Amino acid sequence: MRFGDLSLQVVAGAAALGATLLVGLIAWKVADGAWPSVRHYGLKFVWTNAWIPVTGHELYGAASFLFGTAVTSLVALALAAPLSIGIAIYLSELAPRFLRGPVTALIETLAAVPSVVIGLWGILVLGPVLRTHVEPALHSAFGFIPLFGPPSSTGSSIFTAIIVLTFMILPIVSSITRELFLGVPHDQKEGALALGSTHWEMVRGVMFPYARGGIAAALILGLGRALGEAIAVTQVIGGVTGSSGIQWNLFATGDTLASKIAASYQGATTNLQVASLIYLGLILLVFSLFVNFLAQVIVRRVARKQGFGARA
Amino acid sequence: MPKHGTFIRIGLLAAVAAVLATLAAGTAGAAPAKKTGITIAGAGSTFVQPLVQQWIAPVGAAYGYELQYSGVGSGAGVAAITARTVDFGASDAPLTADQFTACKGCVQIPWALSATAIIYNLQGVKNLLHMNGAVLSKIFMGQITQWDDPAIQKLNKGVNLPSVKIATVHRSDNSGTTFNFTDYLSSVSPSWKSQIGNGVAVSWPNGTGQRGSAGVAAGVAQTPGGIGYVDVAYALHNHLSYFAMQNKSGKYATPGLKGILAAASSDQKPDANNALSIVNPPKKFALAYPISTYTYVIVPTSTPKAADIRKFLFWAVTKGQTYGPKLLFQPIPKPVLVVAEKTIKKIGS
Repeated sequence: MRFGDLSLQVVAGAAALGATLLVGLIAWKVADGAWPSVRHYGLKFVWTNAWIPVTGHELYGAASFLFGTAVTSLVALALAAPLSIGIAIYLSELAPRFLRGPVTALIETLAAVPSVVIGLWGILVLGPVLRTHVEPALHSAFGFIPLFGPPSSTGSSIFTAIIVLTFMILPIVSSITRELFLGVPHDQKEGALALGSTHWEMVRGVMFPYARGGIAAALILGLGRALGEAIAVTQVIGGVTGSSGIQWNLFATGDTLASKIAASYQGATTNLQVASLIYLGLILLVFSLFVNFLAQVIVRRVARKQGFGARA
Repeated sequence: MPKHGTFIRIGLLAAVAAVLATLAAGTAGAAPAKKTGITIAGAGSTFVQPLVQQWIAPVGAAYGYELQYSGVGSGAGVAAITARTVDFGASDAPLTADQFTACKGCVQIPWALSATAIIYNLQGVKNLLHMNGAVLSKIFMGQITQWDDPAIQKLNKGVNLPSVKIATVHRSDNSGTTFNFTDYLSSVSPSWKSQIGNGVAVSWPNGTGQRGSAGVAAGVAQTPGGIGYVDVAYALHNHLSYFAMQNKSGKYATPGLKGILAAASSDQKPDANNALSIVNPPKKFALAYPISTYTYVIVPTSTPKAADIRKFLFWAVTKGQTYGPKLLFQPIPKPVLVVAEKTIKKIGS
C-alpha cells in the first residue's frame, strides 16, 4: 500500500474512532455525574413533578421538564413541518427564477442566527406582540379549548417558546426538503403533467412520495435541534411555578429539560441539586437517542417501501 | 503579467499586516505602569461585581497586583474557591455548614454592603410608591393579584392606582439577590417562610422567571403592571421605578446609602462564621431600608499567596470602600470592619 493510502486510512479511522469514543465518554460522564441523584431517587425522579431547591426541603423531579420538552418540541415540529414543506415547494417549483436565489439565501441565514440573539428577539419583540395581540385574540376565539387558557402576564410562555423553536427548525427542514424536491427526476414530473395532472396533483403524486423518506429524516433533524435548544428557550419560557408544571394552557409558563439545566446549573448550591440537574441531562440524552433511533427506523421503513430512487 | 487575483491577494495581505502592526503599536503604548506579575483571581457574585471592577485599576496602581474577577454567580464562586481554582470567591448568601465543610478551612468576610430594590412598571404613576413586607409577600404568593387592591391602595392614599393585573417577575437563575429578597420575605411573612422558604433559588408560586438582573428589569419594563426585584444600583442606573419599603418602625425608607447604613446598624456583631442578617431590622432603626444585605468574600486560611491576598483584602475593606457610594455600596461600619480585619489576619500560609 502506498504511504498516502495508509495515512488516509489511519487518519480517517482515528477520527471516526475518536468520535465514537467521544459519544461513549459523554454518555459515561453524564451517567456518572447523575449517579448521586439516581441513587437517591431512582426511576421515580422521571415522574415526580417538583423542583424545590431550598435547603432543608429539597425535592427534585423531572416530570414537568419532560412534559415541557415534549410539548414544545412536538408542537413546534407540527407547526414547522407544513411551513417548511410549503417553502420548499415554493422555492423549487413555483417561485420566479430571479427570486429563488435571494430567498433561499435569506432562509438559510435564519439558521445561522445565534440562539442567544433569537432569544433576545423573543423577549424584546415576539413576547410583547404575542402577549398584547395574539394570545388575547386566541383566548377569546378558542378559549373553550383548554389549550388556549388565560393569556400570559409577561409574554414569556410555552407558546412563545414554541414560536421561537418553530423559527429555529424552519430553515433546517426547508433547505433539506428543497434539495430533495430539486432532485426529483424531471421525467417523472413531466410524465405526470403530460398525463393531465394539475401542478398540485403532480407535487402530491410524484414529488412527495419520492422525497418522503428524506422529509422524515429532515423533520427528525429539526426535532433534534428543538429538543436540545437551551438558551433561546430559557429566555422566553418563564420557568415552572408552583406545582403546575403539567397543565394544558399553552399560554402559561413552563420549562424544558435543556432550558432548566442552562438556567440552574451555574450556582447550584448542593451536591444533590447538581446531580439532579445532570440527571435531567441524562434523561434528555436518553430521550434524544430514542428519538433518533425512531427516526432511523422510520426512514429505513419508508426507504424500503420506495425501492427505486430511495435515499436513507 | 500576474493575474488579477494575485494583486488582490497581495493587497489583502498588506492590509492585514498593516492592521496588525497598528494594533501591536497601540497595545505596546498602553502597557500598565507597575507590574509585579502577581494575579489575584476571584469569581462569584454579580451583585458585588461593579464594585470589584472599580478596584482593578487602583489595586494595580497601589500594589501592582493584577486583579481579575468573573461574575459567574454566588454558587459558582463558592464552587470555584472550594476547588481552589481561584484565589477568592464572592457570595451574597452566607455559606451553609455543608459548604464550609466542603471548602475545608475557608473563612468568610463581609466586604460590601448594599440592598435590593423592588421595581415596578405602572404607567402614569409616580416613583417611590409605598409598600410593606406583608403586602409584598402576598403579591408574590399570588394572594393579591390587582394593583388597585385595597391593601395596596391603603398604603398609597391619594394615588390613583390603575386596575391592572400584577405580573410578578423573578430570577430564573441562582442569585444572591433572590437570597436577599426571600430572606426578607421569610422574615416578614411566616407563611412565606413555611411554604416557600429562602435560598438562591426557590420554587416560586407564580410569575415569570428571567435570567439575570437585566432579564428581570426587561421583563418588568415590558409588562404593564410588572413587579420584580433587582440590586439597587441596577435600579438606579437604569432609572426604574421602585418602592419605598415600610420598615418595622412604620416609616417608609428608600434604598439609598442612609437607609442601608441604618439597616447595617441593626446587626453589628457577626456570628461565629461572620454572617450578618440585616433584613427587616427592629423598629428602633427608623431610617433602615429593610431589604439590605452584606456580601461576603470567601478565602482559604491557608494559601500560597497569603501575604498578597491579605494586602488586597485589607485594602478592599478600607480604601476599597470609598469606591462604593457612587455604586450604592455603603462603606462597612467600624465594628464589622474590626471583625473583618481580625479574620483577614487569620489568612496565612
